[in-house]
Amino acid sequence: MNLGNYLLYRLSTALTVLFGASALSFGLVFLTPGDPAETILDQREDTHPTPEAVEAFREAEGLNDPIPIQYVDWVVGISNGDLGESYYSSQSVTTLLVEHAPTTIELALASMVVALCIAVPAGIVSAVHRGDRIDIGSQLAALIGVSMPNFWLGYLLIIVFSLYLGLFPVSGSGSLSQLVLPAVTLGSGMAAIITRLVRTAMLDELESEYVTAARAKGLRERLVLYKHVLRNALIPVITIVGLQFGFVLNGALVVEVVFQRPGLGMLLVDSIFARNYPVVQGIVLLTAVIFVVTNLLVDLSYYRLDPRIRLGGTNS
Amino acid sequence: MDPLLRVDNLQTEFRLPEKTVRAVNGVTFEVGRGEIVGIVGESGSGKSVTARSIVGLEEPGEIVGGTVTFDGTELTEADRTTKRRIRGSGISMLFQDPGASLNPVLTVGEQILEAATLTHDGPAKSLPAAFGFQSFRRRPLWSDARNEAIGLLERVGIADAERRIDDYPHEFSGGMRQRVMLAVALAANPTLLLADEPTTALDTTTQAQLLDLLADLSEIEEMSIVLISHDLGVVSEICDRVVVLYGGEVMESGPTERVLNNPRHPYTHGLLRCRIDANHSGTKLPTIDGTVPDRFDSRGCPFASRCSYATTECNTTEPPVTTVESTHHVKCSELDSVPDLDAHPTGSNEDQGFDSGTKSLVNDDSVTDPVVRFENVSKEYETNQSVLESVLSGREQLTAVNDVSFVVRPGETLGIVGESGSGKSTIAELMTGLSGLTSGTIRLNGQPVGIAEDRSHDQLNDVGMVFQDARSSCNPRLRVRELVAEPLIEAGWAQSEQWDRVREVLEWVELGPEHADRRPHQLSGGQLQRVALARAMALEPELVVLDEPVSGLDVSIQATVCNLLLELQEQSGQSFVIISHDLKVVSHLADRILVTYLGEIVERGAAESLRDSPAHPYTAALFDAVPTIDGTSGFEPLEGAVPSPIDRPDGCSFHTRCPMVESKCQTESPDWQQVKGTQSRCHFAESVAGEASPDVDGLGNDVDE
Repeated sequence: MNLGNYLLYRLSTALTVLFGASALSFGLVFLTPGDPAETILDQREDTHPTPEAVEAFREAEGLNDPIPIQYVDWVVGISNGDLGESYYSSQSVTTLLVEHAPTTIELALASMVVALCIAVPAGIVSAVHRGDRIDIGSQLAALIGVSMPNFWLGYLLIIVFSLYLGLFPVSGSGSLSQLVLPAVTLGSGMAAIITRLVRTAMLDELESEYVTAARAKGLRERLVLYKHVLRNALIPVITIVGLQFGFVLNGALVVEVVFQRPGLGMLLVDSIFARNYPVVQGIVLLTAVIFVVTNLLVDLSYYRLDPRIRLGGTNS
Repeated sequence: MDPLLRVDNLQTEFRLPEKTVRAVNGVTFEVGRGEIVGIVGESGSGKSVTARSIVGLEEPGEIVGGTVTFDGTELTEADRTTKRRIRGSGISMLFQDPGASLNPVLTVGEQILEAATLTHDGPAKSLPAAFGFQSFRRRPLWSDARNEAIGLLERVGIADAERRIDDYPHEFSGGMRQRVMLAVALAANPTLLLADEPTTALDTTTQAQLLDLLADLSEIEEMSIVLISHDLGVVSEICDRVVVLYGGEVMESGPTERVLNNPRHPYTHGLLRCRIDANHSGTKLPTIDGTVPDRFDSRGCPFASRCSYATTECNTTEPPVTTVESTHHVKCSELDSVPDLDAHPTGSNEDQGFDSGTKSLVNDDSVTDPVVRFENVSKEYETNQSVLESVLSGREQLTAVNDVSFVVRPGETLGIVGESGSGKSTIAELMTGLSGLTSGTIRLNGQPVGIAEDRSHDQLNDVGMVFQDARSSCNPRLRVRELVAEPLIEAGWAQSEQWDRVREVLEWVELGPEHADRRPHQLSGGQLQRVALARAMALEPELVVLDEPVSGLDVSIQATVCNLLLELQEQSGQSFVIISHDLKVVSHLADRILVTYLGEIVERGAAESLRDSPAHPYTAALFDAVPTIDGTSGFEPLEGAVPSPIDRPDGCSFHTRCPMVESKCQTESPDWQQVKGTQSRCHFAESVAGEASPDVDGLGNDVDE
């Protein structure tokens, strides 16, 4: 398959995925107990709403229509670029997403940087000094990193670095110093996974005959490692890093609550509690889009990195 | 003058957790300037470790004694940097598997350049420059290097080098990749080339081309070469001197002529005798019993356990080195009792061979129902194209098999021979139903059959298959008994009967029940090939298809597997189809042979007639390409490679490489010509076969519509 065909094929599957994800989330939202009309009017007016007010709200928001009809309305809205309005603030969902997304993306990217800065060097050192103390140490650190829950590490960091040492602010967003602790919290778990992956991939590649051949050419060990081995070892690593990027959004949900960062995670948690369906669906859809796009980018980078790969998996 | 390389009493050990294995145990030899020295021995005899120890790449092994002197520098004591510099400029290496020894993600140009620029820029090269980031100031230098790399590719015989320099290794064929590796090795302008089994993974024709190239390089550039191989035939083609290695020790060394014609060591005798070309076809090949053992101590002669002349003394005392003639040395304490080897023992071992009468041909008249009949079978593949490309330029077809007709008779061994890309493996896939045909009919016992999914249980049970690489065709997690029982389970055998059957089948392939509980990694290559054979034979199929059953095995193991195949076929009366690129192997085992080229059969006939008087220039070239030890190495290797099956040549498909091509060949597709005992698709079949003999009996005739 050539690039054009491949992109066309991937785009069509992406649409199917998005359709499925949105339908599922739409259904799930309606299965959760609680009536959005009552919850929202309750919060808006600060008193228990009258049945007439509830009925009026349901009629206005189309909540009395059968669920499939509501879904179709929603999909038709999306195709016109309209994600609906928040029940609560009457702001358009699009506006809300645009407001909150940068904070989350900032966190996701920063934690990715943290993860890679720890993981790639640690993995390489571990592989090169296989079985040595430094390898065992890094493996142990990776095990701890993988096992530690995000929120617990987050509070631990707050206690040590904010309350005790006073180096970083406890919460909020906007400045670099406010980004450090959440990024470390979120990045360390990923770093653990990626370290082990880099180590295994490096060890696999070091066994290869081309490494001996490169040494037989008289290349320096440094060059053999970084030019020959690392380049091949990073191919499988990139897949996992790409997939992890999707999961960063999940992690952001918890970390944003811990550090009180007004990102998509916070917005999602608030919206779920408030039964603010249009916002929840908007975020789910956005997350699905990000998943699909990062996956596609991973596959394309694979194609770029490994000349042997044929798009669409048709090898000949 | 001092020799270029002197290896003196080299000892290399591998420290494993439970024991220390001594892989190289006191190896001593010299390589003069411009000389080609062959190192010969079976797998495990320490050849590769010796080569790697010379350049300091013996890890995880460790050199524990001896010296390596290269061009006046002592290398075993040298520091890492010195060793590295010697590798970068003085000594280059060529490895067995060119596919694995090239980095898959770098272009071949890059891999040549990095070896070449090392010598240009000296050791003080900055890291960015090494990665290919060149500052503008250095551009001219960079393009010089690139031109030099193109020159190197041309020198090793890669056509269109200027365009191909930016290709990746996987875009080259196996033989071409080995040429690229050679270009990489030559880039540093080495004075010594260590070639570790450089041709073992290649077709015989490609092997002949590469050996030719190495001989030229040595002659023109005065380059010294150490050629490592398990095959004395390969070594004898180009080497000035031969060193026979066993158990990490030099058993015999001397000028090639002397060692081949007047070998003194029993091990050298064994290696020479088990070569197929030294024996009558269909006869049992002499073998060397047992396998190379790991050495843990250095007492006694390492070969004693497998030597028929061994005395108790051989097991306990180190044999002395005897100088037979000025440069011919032998390490053996029983030299007097070892008889002279008849250099060409053809016929001498008929007493232990099979009755040659069993190989007599089945006449056409007696063919009532062939086991398999191919009727005008073609197989085409679609090439990878985008929708847009196929709309604009029409669909591109790759014809792997083109209008092929033949039969496999009951109880015969049919050989199919050709280079890679000649369509022989596709024929095997079609026969076993692993892939489907595009047109024509395949009949199994008279019934038309399709792919494996569409075949009935009985039809599936009638065909067994042995794949080329036993190691990758056996699931590493299963035990031998489970591997062999797989077809039985599929055929619905009761559990209780399975085990008896497995034991019986293992006995056929000469494996004991103690092997049944082992896993593939605990078996040697030869043993694993027996397991694969046992699996294919478990249901006693009428037809066994064997794809390259002995290539990739050491010569000595090749001999035992060939013997086994002959014996099994004689006892069972099954039909065998043996596919190989090695015409010597096929003509040894088969009754009849089909020679394929570019998906077509170009010659067919009885194995003996084909060997005695091949009537197609391609067949003749395939025979020529097989390395022999009888000194007839004035061969002209076949030029180039099999052309692309997408763009087939007009006329005779072989005309682009044929040594006797004429204008007629470029336009007219030749028809079948009957010459002596074979049929050939060549316009000049009769002159190829030597003399015309129009009407001989119809040996080897088959379907010819």
